[in-house]
Amino acid sequence: MRRITEHPILTFEQGRKITFTFDGKTIEGREGDTIASALQAAGIRVYRESIEMHRPRGFFCAIGRCANCSMIVDGVPNTKVCVTRLREGVVVETQRGRGGVRRD
Amino acid sequence: MAMINTEILVIGGGPAGLCAAAEAAEHGAKVLLVDDKDVLGGQLIKQTHRFFGSRQQYAGVRGIDIAKILIENAREFGVELTTGATATAIYGDGVVAAATDDGFLKVRPEKIIAATGAYENMLAFPNSDLPGVYGAGAVQTLMNVNGVAPGNRVLMIGAGNIGLIVAYQLLQAGIGVAAVIEITDRVGGYYVHANKIRRLGVPILLRHTVKYAWGGEGVEGAAIARVDERYRPIPGTERDLAVDTICLSVGLTPLTELLWNAGCGMKYIAQLGGHVAWHDENMRTSREDIYVAGDASGIEEASSAMIEGKVAGLNAAYALKRDIGLSKKNYEGCLEDYREQLCQLRRGPFGEKARRGKSALMGAPIPADRPIKSTPVPDEEFQKGARVVIECEQNIPCDPCEATCPHGAITVGEDMVNYPLLDAGKCNACGICVASCPGLALFVLNRDYSQTETEIILPYEFIPVPNKGDRVDACDREGNVVCRARVSRAVKSKKFDRTALVSLVVEDRYADVVRSFRISGIVPETGRIEKPDMSRVDEMDTIICVCEDVTRRRIEEAIDRDGAQSMDEIKRLLRCGMGPCQGKTCQRLIMQILAKKLNRNIEEFKPQTYRGPMKPVSLGLLAKADDEEEN
Repeated sequence: MRRITEHPILTFEQGRKITFTFDGKTIEGREGDTIASALQAAGIRVYRESIEMHRPRGFFCAIGRCANCSMIVDGVPNTKVCVTRLREGVVVETQRGRGGVRRD
Repeated sequence: MAMINTEILVIGGGPAGLCAAAEAAEHGAKVLLVDDKDVLGGQLIKQTHRFFGSRQQYAGVRGIDIAKILIENAREFGVELTTGATATAIYGDGVVAAATDDGFLKVRPEKIIAATGAYENMLAFPNSDLPGVYGAGAVQTLMNVNGVAPGNRVLMIGAGNIGLIVAYQLLQAGIGVAAVIEITDRVGGYYVHANKIRRLGVPILLRHTVKYAWGGEGVEGAAIARVDERYRPIPGTERDLAVDTICLSVGLTPLTELLWNAGCGMKYIAQLGGHVAWHDENMRTSREDIYVAGDASGIEEASSAMIEGKVAGLNAAYALKRDIGLSKKNYEGCLEDYREQLCQLRRGPFGEKARRGKSALMGAPIPADRPIKSTPVPDEEFQKGARVVIECEQNIPCDPCEATCPHGAITVGEDMVNYPLLDAGKCNACGICVASCPGLALFVLNRDYSQTETEIILPYEFIPVPNKGDRVDACDREGNVVCRARVSRAVKSKKFDRTALVSLVVEDRYADVVRSFRISGIVPETGRIEKPDMSRVDEMDTIICVCEDVTRRRIEEAIDRDGAQSMDEIKRLLRCGMGPCQGKTCQRLIMQILAKKLNRNIEEFKPQTYRGPMKPVSLGLLAKADDEEEN
């Protein structure tokens, strides 16, 4: 995947770089990204493993309705990353199964 | 959080909600609008194309810019706009709860306007749950809002307006479109949208469906096939496509959970996209304090959503207990104006679905459509001079060509659904209408360019724009290269709002053939298709409920073996609808399976019983709300 840098109708500000980690790897996104768009731009399509059949799942509706993109974000499972803004240093992990209960 | 009292609460900040809120506030009501996103505008924020309709609905303006106008209007009239707040329930006492990151908002409004929009329908086929199968709206969000390409080569499923528009937008973003496939025998969207992508070389395959996708960690390819008259794939017609993205544009379903929850009378109307709340002409539901507008009240275009919003906003404001200074005369005047606009937008062949749907819903006879005065006629032959040719083919409700022509050469007339008529004597081939047509369906031909050549002015919305003197491949209406052509002029003007006018010089014999061009050679087809053995792929293994991993086989077994006869029963047996999407992905598919298996009509099946909260919220958030109550 790639970022669209030139477009006949739209102008995309190539915003400030934001670094975050995905499953331990450091990845670079841009200001204005959602976690999902930053992952897509980095070529990452698998966000979780389905609960029973362990199938790869990713982004689908992009508006927070289908929950297909649920990931563990800063330890919080079932976070819909398509509607979660990317923040500096956020820790994003592939969610396997239903996602556990966080014990604070 | 403390109870918020307001006169009108608008749920949803898309075109309908923003217009409803602005309208009510303009007439003096105190209005609060909540939206679940962090940006207002609904789906408008990703619509890069110009809108149809008339000036009152911002025709000729791109959706992205309409969003800005509507937000500004709402703000100007003093609407309180709250983003990041998802309405999760309408309780019996009229209190609405909205979940935010920090806690619940509790709102006690006098009137509620539900403008909650719609969600995209899912199409299930083997491996449709793979990453790379995306909703068309999702693809638009990713590329037009986030500026990220969804993939390199896309198969678009569905040739309605959304499928056609998104296919065009993919090409604008430099992404390949292998084909648009459509299961019925006709293009459902405007032909002008279909023509825009055909002339760029994208095939639209009618009577085709997707059989399955394949791939490891994401889509790597798809098999498509022709279908028979009962929409079953015809053996031997299967074809493989190397695509990494499959985009679904197979319709929308009104988002009505809150209306079910509020106890509004609901009715299944196929033409409106599914179950909708019964409402009258004033957009009032069976609960007199709840109004609806936009796609939530029946799937239509954004233009009619805006007007429905205004009708709802006006009526909610007029029905308030407090005298806000909205006189009966003013109210009736506005209402009449909006009703006429709605009537105009729903005229002609494309308005028929909405006309029939709304009449069926209200139990009213279908209003007779006034006769359309001018219909598409083949452009009469002309061999001399320079003038515009109109190729819009259908009676689309829209009039920017008439509105922008500085010479009064084009007449649509009072009924914007009329076909535009040209007074060739008045046309001086300036090209302004070419740049203004939302369907990019106007072209200027100058047959007197030279003794043997014709100059054609084409609208062009791609980059880079060629320069004068460049040579390009000129294409016909199907995107086939027919000749080389010289660029005689390329105009990029601010007043043409990002549509360039490119003039090509071709031999006279190509004057009626050339309608597009390519700067460089054809995008190469990917080489040999690598495909795993798919001979054992079984339709019964298709995953219908993606949250809970439930296959078609298990659903059919629940019906055949366990005797399930409703969505609620399937839900109890298999958990479909209990996952985090709350049935938004699977419910429609399950109701289709139920209808087919039990040999009944889909409208006989009710969706699952809705109870708040409508979206998953953390127990912590709920506990917090309770704590505050006690304090």
